[in-house]
Amino acid sequence: MTDAAENRNFALYETLVINAARLVFLAVFFAAWEYIARNRIVNPLFIGIPTEIAKFLWIGLFVEFSLIKDLYWTLGSTFLAFVIGSVAGIITGLMFITWPWFERFSDPLFSALNALPRIALAPLFLLWFGLGIWSKVALGASLTYFIVLSSAVAGIRSTNADHLTLSRTLGASKGQIFARVTLPSAVPTIFSGLRLGLIYALLGVIGGEIIAAQHGLGQLLSFLAGSFQISGVFAVLFILAILGTALIALMNSLEKWLLRWQ
Amino acid sequence: MSGQGQLAASAAVKPEAGGYTQAPAGAREIGNVLIRDLNHRFGSSVHAAADVNLSFAPGEFVSIVGPSGCGKTTVLNLLAGLMPVQEGTISIFGSPPKAGRHDVAYMLARDCLFPWLTAAQNAEFGARIRHADRHKSQERARHLLEAVGLKGFEENYPKALSHGMRQRVALARTFCLDSPLLLMDEPFGALDAQTKMQLEDVLLSLWMKERRTVVFITHDLAEAITLSDRVVVMSARPGRIIADIRIELPRPRSVTDLQKDPEYHKIYAKVWEKLEVGLQS
Repeated sequence: MTDAAENRNFALYETLVINAARLVFLAVFFAAWEYIARNRIVNPLFIGIPTEIAKFLWIGLFVEFSLIKDLYWTLGSTFLAFVIGSVAGIITGLMFITWPWFERFSDPLFSALNALPRIALAPLFLLWFGLGIWSKVALGASLTYFIVLSSAVAGIRSTNADHLTLSRTLGASKGQIFARVTLPSAVPTIFSGLRLGLIYALLGVIGGEIIAAQHGLGQLLSFLAGSFQISGVFAVLFILAILGTALIALMNSLEKWLLRWQ
Repeated sequence: MSGQGQLAASAAVKPEAGGYTQAPAGAREIGNVLIRDLNHRFGSSVHAAADVNLSFAPGEFVSIVGPSGCGKTTVLNLLAGLMPVQEGTISIFGSPPKAGRHDVAYMLARDCLFPWLTAAQNAEFGARIRHADRHKSQERARHLLEAVGLKGFEENYPKALSHGMRQRVALARTFCLDSPLLLMDEPFGALDAQTKMQLEDVLLSLWMKERRTVVFITHDLAEAITLSDRVVVMSARPGRIIADIRIELPRPRSVTDLQKDPEYHKIYAKVWEKLEVGLQS
């Protein structure tokens, strides 16, 4: 057997052991939780009961599909907030680069808006856009927008001066320089902004739903907590954790593919 | 090549009204690159190039050497049209320099490859920017990559290439352009001695096939003598031309063989003397 194959086998073995250890840890953790809650060592009103959480998830996901419906609302709003916020952010970034006077002119305004805790805008957005998804989209997009804007500006500014000199001597047009030099060199920085922007879009949407909504996981969370269904609250939190992780994993694999040259 | 013969004469010619626009001189100078009475200053205190008069004949390989800060790169950047000419005239094939003209190719000191393009894509980048036929430039880039010794590395990204290999790709990119005038700004300055000699050989073999005009900036006298038909020596600031020496070594030259050639060392000593004078003055 070659060294490489041996190393691979060893790595595989290590992965197996680590995953097994994780499963054991989780099993012990949930068993202890179940034991503590069932025997009222801690009141289950505060920490829920794992079997109840599982039952809630099972019914919500596979029997009544109520969780799926709320998930669908939340994901849809998050997607819209992310797309609107990042497209607007990138366009504003391009405008800043194209017209530096515009950036200088609007800098105090943007700084103030960016420093404002965006969740404080929620009541206003509710008034403007109603109880439906658009108030949540607005809140999420307002968070994504500034993150993507600053990363777009930083990314475009980070273009290597040598690359620009070379393009000039080659006689590249403005459009060619943008498409073939500026944009590709900005992608890594913009992408880290997009990844963060997606997480913040989710944050904004959930925040908005908790405050006031008709649908969505945030609204469900707020309803369950208000009616002391703590196992349900934990079930929603599990779904949110998995959702966040899945979104990050999606962005990571997209980034890995886009930036395979790095 | 009628240009070669009148070289000495045109270098000495002082511009009258209009310089290169003069009809009788202009007709003969069409294939030439001329610099007349060039002065360039940065701010009020730094005088980078002083009274530079130079002429490059078609197909000639000319190196400009000098101590760092003497203004040799300034002269090259003015030829490339990267900065406006302040005083004097420059004529490239009968017209003033301009960044982006297609008859000039510029190679930077750093390899300047795009990290998101493969070696092959980098090699054809310039040709594609200049709207060369896609199929033809692809073919040519592959061919050049093979010529610079990178066969099998076409699909590698720059991160997977060594310093020397990256500079080979940059050479391929420069030669992939059709430009009859190549401007090179210390392209091998950052390489170790062995890699440098290998790349000098590669450059010589590429150049021998097409004999384009090359203006090569370097601070390495040995490199200048090895490669060039003429070595122009500039003094420390303000950069004046203090010697313009024809290198009578036969071609084709082999970089490694030259190291043992007594004739080469004699020329080296002679040029070094001039450079020494320049450093003292």
